[in-house]
Amino acid sequence: MTACSRRNFVSGMGALILTTGTSVKLSAQGEKPNETAPKRYAMVHDETSCIGCTACMDACRETNQVPEGVSRLEILRSEPHGEFPNQEYEFFRQSCQHCTNAPCVAVCPTGASFIDPETGIVDVNKDLCVGCQYCIAVCPYRVRFIHPVHKTADKCNFCRDTNLAAGKQPACVEACPTKALTFGDMNDPNSAVARKVRENPVYRTKLTLGTEPNLYHIPFAKGEHR
Amino acid sequence: MSTLTYPVPFHTPDLVWDSSIAIYLFLLGISSGAVQLAIAYRRSHKLEKPSENWIVRSAAVLGTIPTLIGLTLLIFHLARPWTFWKLMFNYQFNSVMSMGVMLFQVYMLFMVIWIAVLFKAEIDNLIKKFVPKLRFVTNIIGACERIFSAAEVILFILAAVLGAYTGFLLSALISYPMLNNPVLPALFLASGTSSGIAATFLCILIAGKLKGDSHEVHYIHKFEVPIMVTELGLIVCFFVGLYFGGGQKVVALQNALSGFWGAVFWIGVMLIGIMIPLIANLFASDKWKYNAKFIILVSIFDLIGVLCLRYFILYAGQLTIAM
Repeated sequence: MTACSRRNFVSGMGALILTTGTSVKLSAQGEKPNETAPKRYAMVHDETSCIGCTACMDACRETNQVPEGVSRLEILRSEPHGEFPNQEYEFFRQSCQHCTNAPCVAVCPTGASFIDPETGIVDVNKDLCVGCQYCIAVCPYRVRFIHPVHKTADKCNFCRDTNLAAGKQPACVEACPTKALTFGDMNDPNSAVARKVRENPVYRTKLTLGTEPNLYHIPFAKGEHR
Repeated sequence: MSTLTYPVPFHTPDLVWDSSIAIYLFLLGISSGAVQLAIAYRRSHKLEKPSENWIVRSAAVLGTIPTLIGLTLLIFHLARPWTFWKLMFNYQFNSVMSMGVMLFQVYMLFMVIWIAVLFKAEIDNLIKKFVPKLRFVTNIIGACERIFSAAEVILFILAAVLGAYTGFLLSALISYPMLNNPVLPALFLASGTSSGIAATFLCILIAGKLKGDSHEVHYIHKFEVPIMVTELGLIVCFFVGLYFGGGQKVVALQNALSGFWGAVFWIGVMLIGIMIPLIANLFASDKWKYNAKFIILVSIFDLIGVLCLRYFILYAGQLTIAM
């Protein structure tokens, strides 16, 4: 990949438009944009709304050109709860948690796995990745894989270089027909995601490992939570 | 979807690192152990010509060749082997693997200095005979001679750190409760040293054709039992730590000690690798103990045991995921 590929240019311009657009809007409202405060992007998966249609999975695959055989996002279906015909399934989102204390970043020997200081997004620099798979082994959420084409570590990056760069919400959020996904900045108390976390019972997985994940789940409430 | 019925010993669902890593860990242990042994031997004996001593000769080979083979295996285990050089230009001080890359480079440097000084006369002869233009190399070795004693101590420490490093590499994996275990570096250092001793025995008895009751054999015999007992103790600590750790650590313990990998542990590690060599060393009469063929056989058992330990830890360790 060259230093200034078309993708980089488009995403860079997208990011520029996104940031300048926001600050213009804020200043028009008479508020001072706090440009120094870093974002901490997070996501909430509302398991009570999710119907398991997997539209999010398809949208992710298409937007981020994820080849067959691997996936950045999976919706896992539970065993059925209840007796036919009153059966219900629980759906669980398995994808990168964008840990604030990311073990994949800590073990990476080249610095290819990194946390974007401006957004808190955990991403992979393809140029630096040698494919040692240390990050894949250390991830307790089992969401990393070797991209079959690039041969580098890959995973969800909240569409950092695709939708987000173009000023849109991540593809999975946009595609969800039941609005089960909420994405935004946890450091902004007024954001939809912060409100969702505040106003609902939420859980995060494997907190004891100290990874401080940023993927929240609103529990399905039937059966034992993960 | 996969049609395999789990568990399949070498293809478990959460397996990331496979055989080549196990062999790599095994080879590094040999290198670390052989070098530590040779330095201990050289410093405790006044050798007229160290380059003619078979323990020193063995260390020169075992310290370098297994490490280079191991690193080659590692490079080809990368998904992008030809980008391996990026590891040497982007150091990350919080990554165990990155620190390991640095360790290798320093270790190899001191290894070369050590060999060059000890084999100065031989190297000089070769240069005179084949490439006289390289005469300046002799001068460089001459300069290294002045720092030899310090370099040797540093090499000993680096060899020990290398032995422990293989354990740290795995114990950093917080995703696998069995591997994320503080005893692992010490266990790998002890078993690596024991494999280095066994490999040195094979070298001096087969390539060097030394007698079973030679001075060298007597010297090495002093270390075998203490190291093996230490290894056994550390294995006990390793499992007791899992047992008292609760939660997934207990699940990891149960998974590891049952099925295929349980058999590898009990037969390969405990019986072949520890019990047989330990009994052979403790209870065999001196006639057997100083018989070259007997020592060769016991050393092979020891090496098989250490290889099994590396396979067992790596594969069984990846059976269970942290909750």
